[in-house]
Amino acid sequence: MGLSQALATAISGLRTTQAGMSIVAANVANAQTPGYVRKTLTQVTTAVGGTGVSVRVDAVARELDQYVQRQLQTETSGASYSDLRARIYQQLQQVYGDPSSDTSLEAIFNNFTTSLQALSANPSDYASRTAVLSAAQILTSQLNGMTDQIQALRSDAERGLADVTATANNALQQIASINQKLATAGPSDATAATLADQRDYYVTQLSQILDIRVIEGDRNQISVFTGSGVQIVGTQAAQFSFNEQGTVTANALYDSDPSKSNVGALKLVLPTGGTYDLIANNAIRSGQMAAYLDMRDNVLVEAQTQLDNFAAALASSLSNVTTTGSAVSSPPQAGVDLDISNMQDGNSFRFSYTDVLTGKVHNVSVVRVDDPRALPLSGSATIDPNDEVIGLDFSGGTAGIASQLNAIYGGKLNFSDTGTALRILDNGTVGTTAVNGATATRTASLTSGGPELPLFTDAAKPYTGAITQGGSQSVGFAGRISVNLSLLADPSKLVMMDGTTSSGDPTRPNFIYEQLMNASHLFSPDTGIGTAAAPFNGKITSYLRQMLSQQGQAAQNADSINQGQQVVYNSLAQRFNDASGVSVDQEMANLLNLQNAYGANARIMTTVREMFQELMQVL
Amino acid sequence: MTVSTIGSYILPGIQTLLDTRTRLDDLQRQLATGQKSTTYSGLGVDRGLAVSLNAQLQAIGGFDEAIKQISTRLSIVQTTLGRMSDVGRDLKTATSTAPFDPDTAGQTTLQKTASSDLGELLGLLNTQVGDQYVFSGRDSDKPAVETVDHVLNGDGQRAGLKQLISERGQADLGSGGLGRLAISALGATGVQVQQDASPFGFKLAGISTTTASATTAAPSGAPPTMSIDFGATNPNVGDTVTFSYSLPDGSTESVTLTATNSTTPGPNEFTIGATSDLTAASLQTQLTAATGKLAKTALMAASAVKTSSEFFAADVDHPPLRVDGPPFDTATGQVSGTAANTVIWYSGEASADPARSSAVARIDSGLVVSYGTRANEQGIQWLVQNVATLAAMTFSPTDADGQARSQALNDRLRSNLDVPAGTQKVENIQAEIAATQNAIKGTSDRHQQLSATLSDFLNQVKGVSNEDVGAQILALQTRLSASLQTTAMLYQTSLVNYLR
Repeated sequence: MGLSQALATAISGLRTTQAGMSIVAANVANAQTPGYVRKTLTQVTTAVGGTGVSVRVDAVARELDQYVQRQLQTETSGASYSDLRARIYQQLQQVYGDPSSDTSLEAIFNNFTTSLQALSANPSDYASRTAVLSAAQILTSQLNGMTDQIQALRSDAERGLADVTATANNALQQIASINQKLATAGPSDATAATLADQRDYYVTQLSQILDIRVIEGDRNQISVFTGSGVQIVGTQAAQFSFNEQGTVTANALYDSDPSKSNVGALKLVLPTGGTYDLIANNAIRSGQMAAYLDMRDNVLVEAQTQLDNFAAALASSLSNVTTTGSAVSSPPQAGVDLDISNMQDGNSFRFSYTDVLTGKVHNVSVVRVDDPRALPLSGSATIDPNDEVIGLDFSGGTAGIASQLNAIYGGKLNFSDTGTALRILDNGTVGTTAVNGATATRTASLTSGGPELPLFTDAAKPYTGAITQGGSQSVGFAGRISVNLSLLADPSKLVMMDGTTSSGDPTRPNFIYEQLMNASHLFSPDTGIGTAAAPFNGKITSYLRQMLSQQGQAAQNADSINQGQQVVYNSLAQRFNDASGVSVDQEMANLLNLQNAYGANARIMTTVREMFQELMQVL
Repeated sequence: MTVSTIGSYILPGIQTLLDTRTRLDDLQRQLATGQKSTTYSGLGVDRGLAVSLNAQLQAIGGFDEAIKQISTRLSIVQTTLGRMSDVGRDLKTATSTAPFDPDTAGQTTLQKTASSDLGELLGLLNTQVGDQYVFSGRDSDKPAVETVDHVLNGDGQRAGLKQLISERGQADLGSGGLGRLAISALGATGVQVQQDASPFGFKLAGISTTTASATTAAPSGAPPTMSIDFGATNPNVGDTVTFSYSLPDGSTESVTLTATNSTTPGPNEFTIGATSDLTAASLQTQLTAATGKLAKTALMAASAVKTSSEFFAADVDHPPLRVDGPPFDTATGQVSGTAANTVIWYSGEASADPARSSAVARIDSGLVVSYGTRANEQGIQWLVQNVATLAAMTFSPTDADGQARSQALNDRLRSNLDVPAGTQKVENIQAEIAATQNAIKGTSDRHQQLSATLSDFLNQVKGVSNEDVGAQILALQTRLSASLQTTAMLYQTSLVNYLR
């Protein structure tokens, strides 16, 4: 022990204090740095012969509450998910317009019906006729515009998925590379703490994108799994792959069969080279990725389907003519004759028969399908849940239809071509079936002689609900609906049912108003309104109300869920900050301490120097 | 709200401040616009109700627009019908006192009045509301009726009422001037009257006598014949023989001849000769003269009335009947005219359904009113047809039978303008329209109330109360400024500020 030892100790004290100062400086400088965790210095005495003679820096520790950190990561996914959903829902709400403005869908629809009221009070008035047509055009362009906006939101989701995929891939690679570096770093290495900070930052980034679980391993290693349990990074990183589609239209839908899917598919490419379909396996359950997927494939698709059904109801309620078959008897058989001429692709006829033995009534819908690839039709091809659906090729005429139906119902029912109609007869003396009736529904022409008219068309072709391989004509119809061009060229057809109708005859205007305001229609359960077993059956106006109501409710729910989620997230973030964040006050207090310690050490050195001088003078 | 990254400087406290600020901005918007939200989600659970109420209000607005149009139309129709009714009444009054004063054109003062009345009636029937012809049924863009000139005088190749009356007059009078009857001797002591097979002229209605010894034969056979036979015994002075004829307009006229000893019998008398043979001869001569006179007077008036009723019963789908000629005086039947050769007075729409149903409008979600009118409705047609008959005839001042014919015509028209029971009157149409007007008025009143209630309700759903928002803004403002101040103070009390 001696003065020189004291001097050496004081110097080590100064060195340690300087290190402490640099930590304080680093803490203060990084107070605002995202992902920065407050560092503290651990110092230990170095002892020689049982006496503490010096001090050294043992480790730079991170002030981290791992429990809070894990919870925060989970909640980050949840918060990002709910926040993004709420934001997109709010954007979707903008599509439906301001409830008090004249540009909302309901206001525009109401204007259309009001113009019809004016027309039926004065059917021969040219101005009233054109007013109806221009109101109808505003309605169709509103529907077209809303479709564009919804599809733009889907495109945004598609682009968003591409963005978050890139971000996630970068984060995965960074985590893997930091894992590798940390494997070789010592525990007291100051860079190790910084690297861990960086890694946490990337983990947080990842947790915003999808739901993850982080497992700590030996030697500072972490492994990240998706919430569903697929490992995405360890020492090696898996990569997300997303084939972004440039344009997303109403007809571009996700399908688990890649050949039928028209939107980007999200897959995980494992380090081993294998791929894993994340959408088909429903592997992403939270985070921005899940929110984008949910929006792109469910919420926005349903919103579009609602609009499409609205458009389809507008078109078909005005253009569909239903005729009833006439009873016919051909002893010992009885049945009906049904005229099935002039049916277009998608038009259908229905017949009903009773199985006498069981008393069960069978309703059969026979749909004209021109695209053979769409056959056979599923039972849900018609909205009615209680019917059996048969898709048929009508190209063989009535005789061809009869022979196809005989092949299906041979022995039970007998179909034949009378030359003007399809004859449906029971099985006569066998007596096990009874034909109850038949109706045919077809799309009317502008001069059909009846009040029905194709006021709205699918671009230039009639809207008949045709079913093709690509799906029903109703898909994306809201984006294509337009006012019949022949009607625009000759507005008088709004009143004239054929060449002999009086120009002041209000039959047609009244019919249109009646169909839109008071007649009931069935709506597809795909709209989320009504169920497959009990489809929504109501007026177009009630449907509109349901649609706007349901969307508003969904947006409000998304918003309140988000608010709740943000409260949880914020309080966790607060707790995490309290524990791991930099408190400038505390750092300042440390600074004072260090300043004092430095001063004290320096004082010891001064004293040692003085003592050495005195010693020199004595000698 | 944004998700802050871990360690980011957006602390929850500041986030709260930002949220409060956003809320304040929203309240300000609410105060400025009076609307609770700019999206359906912001309207809360009543959003569906708001959509329904909006639709209902709009529908009521639409109904009221329709009601305005219909009300205007109906009050104009009422005024028009009222005037038509007055015209009919005034003319009827005039027929009873009108003098026979034909001018050189053959028209009496009464007829000139009727002409101008007809002009007025046809003008009224072409009344337009906006650009709708209200008496054209569904063809509201076409005039309802032809002009008075076309109706009376025809138009180029198309014959008018006057020509049809003249043709039918010739046909009814017949070539012999006896209204298509043949009067001849029956044996030596009788007289027989035979009608012809055509639809024109007199038709036999009956025969009677006060002479007990005479034998009469009621009309029978094809074509029918009726006769009287005195037999060997002469009638006594004062005995009468009455021959009754049906006229084309459905009226019946009789010729009653009285037996006299005078060798120069006056009109409607016949001379009792030395034998019943001579008496029968006198009866035949006198009957021929009296029937000829009746043919030129009552028959001509009845013929005009009949022609007119056929002319005015016509529409596009039912062209008027005309005499199949020329020659007309020997014509044997009627043919349908065509739009090319005959004026069809009613040019509007003519369906078989009631005239009211030619204009139908919904004035409430559950109420449909029918308010159409057609010029060829029975009540209107009846009036026009009778006025036109009067206007279409001509009387020469030199015609000895002119006055009697004019009188016969006036009598017929006076009774017609009285409107026989079972025939629709203009007043009936007025009453029906008035009932519709009443229903519309009631509906309109109800709409006013309903619309006020609904608006009020909608305002509760979509709108905000200014007091409420004002109070909220005040509270929020206080809270926000307090928060801002304490936050500022909190940040100022950093140790950094005290290290000097």
